Amino acid sequence: MSFAFSFLFPWLLALLMIQCVAVKVKKPPHGWRLTTILAIISGIIAFLPVRGLPLARWLIGIQANFSFPLIAVVFNKAWEHASGSRLLDRQASMASWVFGLFSGLVLYPMALGLGGFDPYAFGWGFSWLFVSLAILTIALLLIKNRFAAVLMACILGYDLNLLESQNLWDYVVDPFFVLFSFAALSTWLIRRMGKPLSD
Amino acid sequence: MSRRAVRIAIVITLLLYAVPGWRWLCSLNQDPPTFRLNQSFDPIDQGLPRMTQEFMSGDHGAGTVHVASICEMADGRLAASWYGGTREGARDTAIYLAVRNPGMPGSWSAPREVVNRDSASRELRRYVKKLGNPLIFTDSRNRLWLIYVTIAVGGWSGSSLNLKVSDDGGRSWTPSTRLTLSPFLNVSELVRNNPLQMSDGSLAVPIYHEFLGKFSEILWVREEDGAFSVRKTRIAGGRSFIQPSIIVRDPHRAAAFFRSCSDERAVGMATTQDAGATWSEPQHLDLPNPDAAVNALPLSGGRILLAFNESLRGRENLQLALSSDNGATWQRIARIEEDKGAEFSYPYMMQDSHGRIHLVYTWHRRRIKHVVFDEGWINLKLQGASG
Repeated sequence: MSFAFSFLFPWLLALLMIQCVAVKVKKPPHGWRLTTILAIISGIIAFLPVRGLPLARWLIGIQANFSFPLIAVVFNKAWEHASGSRLLDRQASMASWVFGLFSGLVLYPMALGLGGFDPYAFGWGFSWLFVSLAILTIALLLIKNRFAAVLMACILGYDLNLLESQNLWDYVVDPFFVLFSFAALSTWLIRRMGKPLSD
Repeated sequence: MSRRAVRIAIVITLLLYAVPGWRWLCSLNQDPPTFRLNQSFDPIDQGLPRMTQEFMSGDHGAGTVHVASICEMADGRLAASWYGGTREGARDTAIYLAVRNPGMPGSWSAPREVVNRDSASRELRRYVKKLGNPLIFTDSRNRLWLIYVTIAVGGWSGSSLNLKVSDDGGRSWTPSTRLTLSPFLNVSELVRNNPLQMSDGSLAVPIYHEFLGKFSEILWVREEDGAFSVRKTRIAGGRSFIQPSIIVRDPHRAAAFFRSCSDERAVGMATTQDAGATWSEPQHLDLPNPDAAVNALPLSGGRILLAFNESLRGRENLQLALSSDNGATWQRIARIEEDKGAEFSYPYMMQDSHGRIHLVYTWHRRRIKHVVFDEGWINLKLQGASG
C-alpha cells in the first residue's frame, strides 16, 4: 500500500507546479476538464522512468514520508487553482501553520540530539502523542476548524500503514511542512505588522 | 458543518485512535521482553589453549575493505560480511559475504556481493548513491539477517538502514526493506555492533545517530509473517558516545561500551537494569580511544573482553583487555596487531557454540582478518600479564 501511496505527493506536486506555470503565463487553470488533462500530464510526469526509476521515486529517495498536512496543503492549493474555492479556509490554514511550527519545534531539536529526551520514541505506539492529537482533533472539530479533517486523515493513514514509516510523528509532520509553516506564518506576521492598526 | 456532522466526526476520530489504543491495551498483558542469555557452549577443543589467524578476504590492493561482522549459522558454518570498494564511500562499494566451513583452516569461500548500489536501488525502488556498514547475524529461527547502510545524499550523516533476510544460509535473500528510524528525512542512522536476542523472539540492535547530535540508540525489531515492525529507544543523547557494543549480564542487566567522539578520548560505558529500557549516564573508562570502534564480549565467570585501539590518536594497534569487575578495572592481555602508520580497526567478536572466540577486523584497510582463540588462550595470556 505504501508504495502506491508514495506516488500521491509527487503527483500532486507536479500538478500544482504545472498549475502555477499556467497562472504565470496568464492561463488560469480553472475548470475540471482542464484540471483532468493537467492531472493526467502530472501522472505521466510522476511515472516517467528516469534511469530505471519513476521520477516520483527519485523524490522518495530524498524524503519517503511526506506528512499528511503537507499533502493537504498541496492538495488544497491544487484544488483552489482548479475550482476557485479553498478546502482549507483561513482558520484551517492558520491552524495548520501553527501546528506545523509547534510540532517541528517540539520534535526536531530533541530528536536530533538536544538533550537525552527523544519525543520521536512516542510515535511508535500508543502514547501521550496519540492522546494529545486526539484531543486536538476533537477540539478543532468542536470549533469547526477544517484542519481537524487533516488530523483525522493522519491517524487514518497511520492505521492503514500508508507511509513507509511506522511512527505517527511522520504522518503529522515533516521538515518541508515545518519550513512551509514557518514561511507562511512569518509572511502573515510581516504583512500584519505592515498593516495600519484599525480603530 | 452541522452539529450532527461534528458529532459523527468525533466518533470517527475516537474509533481511529481506538485501533492503536486497543493494540496498546492488549500489550499490557504481556511482560516486557528481557535479554536472552547466550546458550551454553559445547567445547570440542579440550586440548591446549589455541589461537589461529587467517585472512578471509583477498588483498584489495588499491581498494578498501571495512566494517566486518561475523556470526555462526545453525549448521556450524561461519558467515562474515563487510563492505569493499575502490575507497570508503565510493559508488562501487558493495556488501560482501563469505562463508567458512567449521574446522577447516583457510576454507573461507570467495567473497561474493550480496548487495551493490544498483541492486539496492532496484530493491528499495529509489536512488541510492552509495553503501556502507553491514551487520550480519542469525535470529532465533536460525535465519541470516543483514542490516546495511545506504546513502542517497551527502556523507555518512545521510545514512539510512535497510534489512535483508536469508533462509538458506546466504544463498538467496529477501528484497531489501527500508527502515524509517529518524524524523528528519530518515537520515543519520548507522549500525555497527552485535545484536541481542530478546525473550519474545525480537531483536535489539545497537545503532547510532550522527548528524547534529552523535548518540547511541537501540533498534528493536520484530518480524511477524514476513513484516518487520520496528521502534527505537535512546541510550544517551549528546555528541560524545556512538557505536554501542552491548554485553548481557542477566535477563535484565547489560553494559554498553562506546566509541568516544568527544575531546575526552576514552572508551565510554553505560549500564541498564531493565533490559535496555533505560540506561545510566555514560562514563569514560580508563581506556584510551582514538575516536574508533570498540567491541565487547561476555566471557565465563562474568568477565568482559574488550577489543579496542590502545591509542589517543591512531588505529595503529589492536588491543585486548579483560575486566573481572563489571568494567571498573581492565587488564591488558594481548596486543593482536601493531604496526606504525598502519590501520587495524573496527573489531567485532563472536563466541561460537563450541566456545571459540572469533575476532574479525579491518587489516590495513585492504583485507579482513579473522583471529580465533579460546578462553584457555585468554587465561594463559592473563597469567602472563599478571606474572
